[in-house]
Amino acid sequence: MRYVKWTFWFVVIAIIVGFLHYTLPQRDIVRIVNTEVRRVDVGQNSWFWAQSDVGNTPDTISRDVRFIETILPSGKPIVFRNEDTGWGWPPYFKLDSSNLQAEASDLVSNRDAPRWVVVRHYGWRNEFLSIFPNAVSVRTVEGPDVRLVPWLNITILISLALVVLLIRRMWIQFRERSIDPLFQDDDETRDRADIYSDEKKGRLARWWKGPPKP
Amino acid sequence: MIFSLARLALLGFAVLSIFYVLISLYSRSVRRERLEQRWDDEDMDGDREAFIRDGLAEYDGSVRRKLILGVYVVPVMVMGTLIYMMNF
Repeated sequence: MRYVKWTFWFVVIAIIVGFLHYTLPQRDIVRIVNTEVRRVDVGQNSWFWAQSDVGNTPDTISRDVRFIETILPSGKPIVFRNEDTGWGWPPYFKLDSSNLQAEASDLVSNRDAPRWVVVRHYGWRNEFLSIFPNAVSVRTVEGPDVRLVPWLNITILISLALVVLLIRRMWIQFRERSIDPLFQDDDETRDRADIYSDEKKGRLARWWKGPPKP
Repeated sequence: MIFSLARLALLGFAVLSIFYVLISLYSRSVRRERLEQRWDDEDMDGDREAFIRDGLAEYDGSVRRKLILGVYVVPVMVMGTLIYMMNF
């Protein structure tokens, strides 16, 4: 039974981490070698593609997609798609794919005279599913060794943690004030909720950790 | 475009409304708990229920309670900032 519980929590955490890793922005320092437009027939991998540009018909399956082909400082290639996210998920509200493509084309360089750029993107590259990370913005940097501090991700993760803590606190309050009194006979106990609120928090922690082991 | 924007607005409004209601209930509950606590700690005489009722009435008119409307305001502002920063 213990292994079932471990597996369950492992799966839950893996899903959450995977979701955040896919959705949150990441940055790579690369040099752009080419930009192009390819026709794509999105199929079973449609989860990992956005729709056509915001103003156009949203539900076309076969469409042209802009791509930005880049090389990492290590020499490994990384190809981005460049699609509007529009008003959908993830909430990047990216409406300017065409402009981004123009900027990227402007920054094309070759290996002899490299021009390093930071590409902010979200998503994963997977060769088996034919999926590409979606580039969100580009800007030039001085070299491939510039140190990037992910302030945006720090802010987002702290806000998320605060929301989770608030929800947890709200649940504890609800339990303490609305559920537990239902199981108490006298009104006096209800008013002394605070006296045993510490114990209650302990109870939640115990529930979280599971029953005490013999 | 209008359709997906409307869908986002409706969904967002629904989700934020749920949050608004939950946070309102939570905040009021915390306030009530604090009033009860104060009554008990300070050994006050008289009508306990009335004391709590008055305290909550004061809370209902307070700025603190109206701050909960930030649940709607903040995400909309974040969204506006994001749209501007991403595209212009």
